[in-house]
Amino acid sequence: MLSRVALRSAAARQSASTALVARGSATEVSGVRDEKNFPRPVRGEPGKVRLGFIPEEWFQFFHSKTGVTGPYTFGVGLTTYLCSKEIFVMEHEYYTGLSLLIMVYVACKKLGPGIASWLDKEVDSIENEWNEGRRSTIASLEKSIEAEKKAQWSAEGQELLMQAKKENVLLQLEAAYRERAMQAYNEVKRRLDYQLEKSNLERRLSQRAMVDWIVRNVTKAITPEQEKQTLDRCIADLSAIAARQ
Amino acid sequence: MGFGDYPKEYNPAVHGPYDPARYYGKPDTPFGQLKISEIGSWFARRNKSPSAVAGACSRAWWRWQHKYMQPKKVGMAPLFQLLVGSMTFFYVINYGKMKHHRNYKYH
Repeated sequence: MLSRVALRSAAARQSASTALVARGSATEVSGVRDEKNFPRPVRGEPGKVRLGFIPEEWFQFFHSKTGVTGPYTFGVGLTTYLCSKEIFVMEHEYYTGLSLLIMVYVACKKLGPGIASWLDKEVDSIENEWNEGRRSTIASLEKSIEAEKKAQWSAEGQELLMQAKKENVLLQLEAAYRERAMQAYNEVKRRLDYQLEKSNLERRLSQRAMVDWIVRNVTKAITPEQEKQTLDRCIADLSAIAARQ
Repeated sequence: MGFGDYPKEYNPAVHGPYDPARYYGKPDTPFGQLKISEIGSWFARRNKSPSAVAGACSRAWWRWQHKYMQPKKVGMAPLFQLLVGSMTFFYVINYGKMKHHRNYKYH
């Protein structure tokens, strides 16, 4: 990023003619990437060969013109020509070469498959080793993504839990408020009851005292004559009632 | 174009990553598809400056490398090709001395 900033500032200072010099940086040149004609090069399979080293394409070049045996005929004919005209000179090194060729051929046939399978295994193991870091990094990153998602999920749960706790606290507050209101009500009622009871008692006591006092005074005020008169009157009334019946 | 520069025709925005085995100029008819009569004019169209020849050799080298030497699981073929090539090369450069070992006087 810093290098891009540096490039931009450098490009601003450069004139148009010198800007062409920095051809290597992709930010300088414009154009649409041509994926069809210039695909990204990939590592392919090794080219096919015949007889150990001759490219298959050379045989294919002959096929359309001379058929399948054409290239072999050409090779044998050329060799025969070179040998018969002694353009190819068979001096002593030629026979050394022949013996070397036989040794190489036998070694290839005898040792080739074993070495090839061992090397292929080595190649696979090296490739696995090189990919292992990438794979493990991807796996650990995926695992941490999973953990992050789970953490987010549980954080959402925490939010829910917080809400529930808040509601719980509100409920507790409500309960405490109601409890205290009840307590105040009870206390007030108790005091009022006390006052009521007290006033009732006072009234009852004063009433009783008043009644006692009045009865006492009345009984004190009754003289023996009055008592006698009343008694006589009662008897008279009783006899009157009895006569009426 | 100095030493170590990319070819003039190479445009990273269009061509993507640089392939040293590839010719980025205007392609001509491949040599294998020419008729005999066209070979002269085809050869006349070629750029025969030293840098162009060196570039062609470099592309051929990298094409051979990509095809035979660089794939993941190669056999003995590239080594045999090198062997045969070097044998031929040394045979050619020593041919003047080899000629004295000829056995027959008349062919």
